[in-house]
Amino acid sequence: MFRFAPYVFKSLWRHRARTLLTVSGAAVALFVFCFVGSVQQGLRRLTEDEDAQRTLIVFQENRFCPTSSRLPQDYADRIREIPGVKDVMPVQVWTNNCRASIDVIVFNGAPAEKLQSARDLKLTSGDWDAFAARRDGALVGRNLAQRRKLVVGEQFSIGEISVQVVGIFESPVPAEENLIYTNLEFLQYTRGLDAAGLVTQHEVHLTNQAAPDAVARAIDEALAVGPVATTTRLKGAFQASTLSDLVDLIGFAHWLGYACVALVLSLVATTTVMSVQDRIGEHAVLQTLGLRPTRVFRLVIAESLLMCVIGGLLGTGLALAVLAWSGMAVGAEGVTIAFRPSWQLGATGAVLSLGIGVVAGLVPAWQAARTQIVTALRQA
Amino acid sequence: MALVEIRNLTKRFRKGDETITPLDSVDLDVEEGEFVVMMGPSGTGKSTMLNLVAGIDRADDGVINVGGTEITRLSRGQLADWRAAHLGYIFQTHNLIPVLTTYENVELPLLLLPMARAERRKRVEVALEAVGLSDRADHYPRQLSGGQEQRVGIARAIVANPTVIVADEPTGSLDVTTSEQIQVLLGRLNRELGMTMLLVTHDEQVASIGTRRLRLDRGRIVEDSQTSNGHHQHRLSATN
Repeated sequence: MFRFAPYVFKSLWRHRARTLLTVSGAAVALFVFCFVGSVQQGLRRLTEDEDAQRTLIVFQENRFCPTSSRLPQDYADRIREIPGVKDVMPVQVWTNNCRASIDVIVFNGAPAEKLQSARDLKLTSGDWDAFAARRDGALVGRNLAQRRKLVVGEQFSIGEISVQVVGIFESPVPAEENLIYTNLEFLQYTRGLDAAGLVTQHEVHLTNQAAPDAVARAIDEALAVGPVATTTRLKGAFQASTLSDLVDLIGFAHWLGYACVALVLSLVATTTVMSVQDRIGEHAVLQTLGLRPTRVFRLVIAESLLMCVIGGLLGTGLALAVLAWSGMAVGAEGVTIAFRPSWQLGATGAVLSLGIGVVAGLVPAWQAARTQIVTALRQA
Repeated sequence: MALVEIRNLTKRFRKGDETITPLDSVDLDVEEGEFVVMMGPSGTGKSTMLNLVAGIDRADDGVINVGGTEITRLSRGQLADWRAAHLGYIFQTHNLIPVLTTYENVELPLLLLPMARAERRKRVEVALEAVGLSDRADHYPRQLSGGQEQRVGIARAIVANPTVIVADEPTGSLDVTTSEQIQVLLGRLNRELGMTMLLVTHDEQVASIGTRRLRLDRGRIVEDSQTSNGHHQHRLSATN
């Protein structure tokens, strides 16, 4: 088969404008497919990973935006007494934009020692001591630091908040990498928040044996007698509910991914059909020279495959590079979805390119292989 | 036993309600080394017979045996394999692959045979030398004249050292001078390399290079004669 590789390459190069347009079309479509895929993966991670399934969020009842949820900080002590609760971390949330945005800045204020034990954060620069010691010290997620070009020692201001970057962190939860962590008191006393003794939410970590739903019910019942009623949900459900508008959009976007696949399929199939129709006589000549119909079939499939794989790998590679480099995220109401590249996404793009390449070539390849030699030679 | 044996060969076409029979129960034997030229008016079955012998068309009745292989019994894939190993086809319109160089065009049939690259190179060089185009190996068909293109087509037909070469009006699209050069080349290949050839032409001058002349009319062979080349060849054989 490889003996005919020069013929395959040169045949594609013969109509280079057509080939390049098809390859670039496939690249763009796979780029979009991978982008949509990364958003869906981000959402899935946010709602389905272990942290999302073993952590509860206590929020003020009937409130959605973090600025409107104001729970007493001492609720943490009462929650800690409920069976099944391992630890509680009070969190003050501040965001520059409650609506959906791709450049949302979210501050989470939490006690330094709690943050260090509750989160698996790995500092790539800076240190925890500086965070604990400095009142306005901030740990910035890697994605956000990349997007905003922040480095340790820099002052970062947005709205009424001004912090000193004392560390950049990585997290196994990609969405965390779009957050800025500060000390709880710093955020509570920020001008405009007026939240001394109040927090946005309590993050509840469960023991291994605890049943999340039962503990959530117990928390809400225990706090029902307090000054502010609460709604407690699994972190995954809380985040999905908070992002419900975006979830619907992202759910719809997966059709866009399928549309991209269909687009590449029709694009490559059209080009291959045109290429085969241009060369009916040539395929007849090749068969006259002794090429079996099955070999002609494979040559056409190889052409279609090559266009699709080159375009697909370009698009997939570009998408992964842009996702890795841009640190993009979409967020709403203090919750963010990270667009992250992944090997799974790359493999899906590559396999899809291969599959589309083969499927797109089937009909034209069959046509070429079924060519009646004498009839085709007369037309040539 | 003749190299090519044709028995009761019949080919029919349906054209609307009418059945056309371009070949009607034809019998023919072609000996090894013969240069058979087929002539006759258009539509008398010359090209049809050539295509059937070449294994690129199917007969409705009859048997074709080439070099001991009954090609009328072969499947499509088997026929392709047989063509690769045993057939050289010279087209009227050259039919070179435009994206391949002269060298690559001539090498094409060898790619289908179990052959090392060095052996392929040697054979292509010999074939190109035989047609006088060694210095055009890297040229593309668009860079060649019509006559040169046809010589590349001939090199491609002979490169695998086939059992039989068929040529369908190989000079039909060439000017007089170029046509004469091609005739000389084909005659030389037959005489010097002993290649068995079947050629279709309308041109009496082209027909004169053959050793045997067949005239077809309404699907039948109506005349079968040795030419002076044939007598000459037989005399040479007898002397040797």
